[in-house]
Amino acid sequence: MFELICNILLWLGLLYAYFFNVLEAPIPDRVARNPYTLKPDMWPKTIIILLLVCIALNIINIIRKNKNNPEFSLDALLSIRARMCIGIALVVAASFVLEPLGYMVTCVLVLFFYGLLLGQTHVIRLAIFSVIITLVLYVVFSVLLSVNLPRGTIPELRNFSLYVESLVASVKGAIM
Amino acid sequence: MKKFLCAILAVLLVLCCVSFASADDWKFERKITIVCPWGVGGGADSTLRPMATLIKNILGQEVEVVNVTGGNGVTAVEYVYKQPADGYTFMLGTQSLFMQDIQGTTSMNFKEEFIPVARLVHAINVITASKKAMDKKGYKTFSEMREYVTNNPFEVSVGMLTSTGLDGASLKQALEGLDILDVSYPSGSEMNSALVGGHIDIMVTGTDEIEGLIAAGDIVPLLALCEKRMNRYPDVECSVELGINSVLGPARGIFAKKGTPQEAIDALVAAIEKASQDPSWQSFLVQGCYDERPGFAGPEEYAKDCEEDYKLLSEYLKAEGVMKKDYYAK
Amino acid sequence: MTTWELFVNGFSVLMDPYTFMMVVFAIVVGTIFGALPGVSATMAVALGLPFTYSMAPIPAIVFLVAIYCSSITGGSITAILFKIPGVPSSAPTTFDGYPMAQRGEAGKALGIALGSSAIGGLVSALAMLTLSPQLTQAALSFSPSDIFAITFMGLSILTCLDSKNILRTLISGLLGLLLACVGQDPMYAVQRLTFGSGELIAGLEMIPVLIGIFAVTEVLKQTKKRDALTNENGTGSVNTKMPSLKEWWGIKWLLARCSIIGTIIGILPGAGATIASFLCYSSETKLSKHPEKFGTGIIDGVAASETANNAATGGAMVPLLSLGIPGGNAAAVMMSALVLKGVQLGPLLLVNQPQYLSATFASMVVTNILMVIVAIGIAKVFAQILAVPYSYLGPIIIMLAIIGSYATNMSIADVKIMAIAGVIGLIISACHFNSAALILGLVLGVICEGNFSRAYTISRANLMNMFARPVAGTLMVISIILLLWPIISQIFRKEK
Repeated sequence: MFELICNILLWLGLLYAYFFNVLEAPIPDRVARNPYTLKPDMWPKTIIILLLVCIALNIINIIRKNKNNPEFSLDALLSIRARMCIGIALVVAASFVLEPLGYMVTCVLVLFFYGLLLGQTHVIRLAIFSVIITLVLYVVFSVLLSVNLPRGTIPELRNFSLYVESLVASVKGAIM
Repeated sequence: MKKFLCAILAVLLVLCCVSFASADDWKFERKITIVCPWGVGGGADSTLRPMATLIKNILGQEVEVVNVTGGNGVTAVEYVYKQPADGYTFMLGTQSLFMQDIQGTTSMNFKEEFIPVARLVHAINVITASKKAMDKKGYKTFSEMREYVTNNPFEVSVGMLTSTGLDGASLKQALEGLDILDVSYPSGSEMNSALVGGHIDIMVTGTDEIEGLIAAGDIVPLLALCEKRMNRYPDVECSVELGINSVLGPARGIFAKKGTPQEAIDALVAAIEKASQDPSWQSFLVQGCYDERPGFAGPEEYAKDCEEDYKLLSEYLKAEGVMKKDYYAK
Repeated sequence: MTTWELFVNGFSVLMDPYTFMMVVFAIVVGTIFGALPGVSATMAVALGLPFTYSMAPIPAIVFLVAIYCSSITGGSITAILFKIPGVPSSAPTTFDGYPMAQRGEAGKALGIALGSSAIGGLVSALAMLTLSPQLTQAALSFSPSDIFAITFMGLSILTCLDSKNILRTLISGLLGLLLACVGQDPMYAVQRLTFGSGELIAGLEMIPVLIGIFAVTEVLKQTKKRDALTNENGTGSVNTKMPSLKEWWGIKWLLARCSIIGTIIGILPGAGATIASFLCYSSETKLSKHPEKFGTGIIDGVAASETANNAATGGAMVPLLSLGIPGGNAAAVMMSALVLKGVQLGPLLLVNQPQYLSATFASMVVTNILMVIVAIGIAKVFAQILAVPYSYLGPIIIMLAIIGSYATNMSIADVKIMAIAGVIGLIISACHFNSAALILGLVLGVICEGNFSRAYTISRANLMNMFARPVAGTLMVISIILLLWPIISQIFRKEK
């Protein structure tokens, strides 16, 4: 049932995109004038048409296969586990708070809460582990690989990140 | 009289100290980040890294080049715009960013929110032809090629990086009114390879990547889009001598977000100016074919050039029908 | 210089103790950088640039080539252990490598990956030394139609990937192609399918989508499985048994094919190790006697991907040294390093200074042999991480996924795309779509469309002219047969 709904939604979404979203900006004049250029909307439109055909066939197949299937009802939808939803919410939330909170805070929070979600019961051990792994990953990526991890846009957190960076720089200076 | 002269001298000395002091007022206390909107190894990045090394030695602080690629430079602009204007984040910019701004792909007005700090290099665009194609089609000079195109519309293909980029604008000026086939390539290497292989007939490009191929004869420069003939190719005609008004060439410079402390900008400009005189930078300019035009330009001069480029490119993009922001609307 | 003289000359460069030491350093550093997600091979080479400033040009290129080859190999380590490719070209290695690791065969998977990488690298190095002029001519003769035909053939394998699920695999592949259209179009920079979002203007990068659909989906699925903490002490010790000689002998033809195809794709500017590994993976699926096993965890899948991506490294060096045109992004970084040292790259380089070719060859040979040893050591260290309890490991994988997605382009948008791709991965598996097919479409989409558009313009919209070339024509006919055959044979089977 879930599969059928997904396919139908996808079909409708693609139909909408075909009419309204394929080209979101005007085609430059020199491209439009030239009779031998492939206009930018041709390729995606061809793919969408092929997709609409294939998904329609798929929907027909699903309905045909499950005509006499008693399990095929809306109740099946509700079997999605709550845990997975929380997991999804955590990951999506992490991607959205990464920018304002910065790497340090986001990493500690993700490691801690996701660890809880996966069933870890030793809370203190988990908290310490979160902080240590955050620092290890920071050293590996930011120091060794020169990847600038997000500092955060909230001023206090940004200043904290800058402070950590200056600490690292002075340690580096002392070693070299 | 003596006393008067001494007094004048003293005042002058004090004034000098004050002016030096204000330039020295700003000391960079931690690492400086310069964002490059294009990938490692590309033209922009290869220009920025040597300069970053030189500035680091002059300022005594780490100068880090960060590559933020994507969206034809827009991702980098958005990234820098999100950073606070505290004098530690700058970016490399070219006319491509102006064109993205005019087409409305940036979330802010680049022209108003970013200040030109200093220009590093100013390259010359050259129209070059494939030796293979030339032999097949029979033209040997730019004028012969133009005649061939006029007699055979849509038979000659020209390669460029983006038609709504600087290349497109250059080409439109140089090949005004001619019916040619535009073929876009995602990178210089693919375009160069296609030209050598004879899959496209001509292309517009900077000369840095193809010096070796020109020397070997696989690529033949037809027209240099500049005011006078190039020193390294004295036999190649230039656009102005043929009456073609096309001198646009890629210029790469440093930009800062509006609100960056003026002292920080001044200190950086001073460092860049000093670095430009370093012999290793001078030899880099020669190797990269950037020595044909004045490279370094300070904030005022660069701002003037940027303004002129904005006008020209606005006109071009308006004619193409893709302009979303008209800074010169009356 | 004769081939033998070149051979001797090349190795003499490595006899210098300082240069040799730097190569060993490059191998260690390159493998680790390659293994860490978010740092591509190009980035690894760029990180090695500062070390070359004080070197002469030839030791510099020897050093950078060593980093390049070992980072391409290093990417397979995390691909197999965590389903996160360390470098984009190890993405297909996740399809079979990770299931093998899940079954406790991590050692075998890593052994195959490293050995195949070495074989692919050595074959392409030899091709580079002996066949550069011919390979260069071949690279130059490939027109946009030919390149389109090659990538189209890679896509046409879609219908063969899963014979029981042709329709759904086709839908997944087409969706991948459509996702590749999001953002500014490759030819004219016209925005498509961005739905008004500024963040989608840059398009969908392969790595965040892949990490999301594979690694993140996996971790999200694990929340379902563990209602209580079942295994406090982790999954037990990791099996690091190496593959047997018999297994190696069984894939000898696969190794030969993928080395050659990988080298050829590597010489094309615009198609590098990533395209090579995807194309070889999909073509080996078709050529195999047991195509349905691909994706479940067989050594063929790992070998195909890893042989091809290392073979492409030698291929990428050919146009760089013979023409001065870099065969890929990493080669472009090496080019900028050489230009800075005053080396004039171009067709005359090898005529005047053939030692560039021989030194590169020697570096590749030594690197491909030594890196197996180094990588085994590094892999054993990484493999111990698998023994950690999943309630610690899962979150670490999520963080590696976030950092890896961010570091590709320093873009928060990529992290959001990865998170959403993780959710989509769950939907894909619920609807029995094929994530590998989707990624294949996403990777090949841009190069396919771009070359079709170019070929269309150059041949003035004449489709017959477009494919009248020998390579393009043959490949298109084969592709169309490959595409339609499974569909037609299924229809006939149903009617019976």
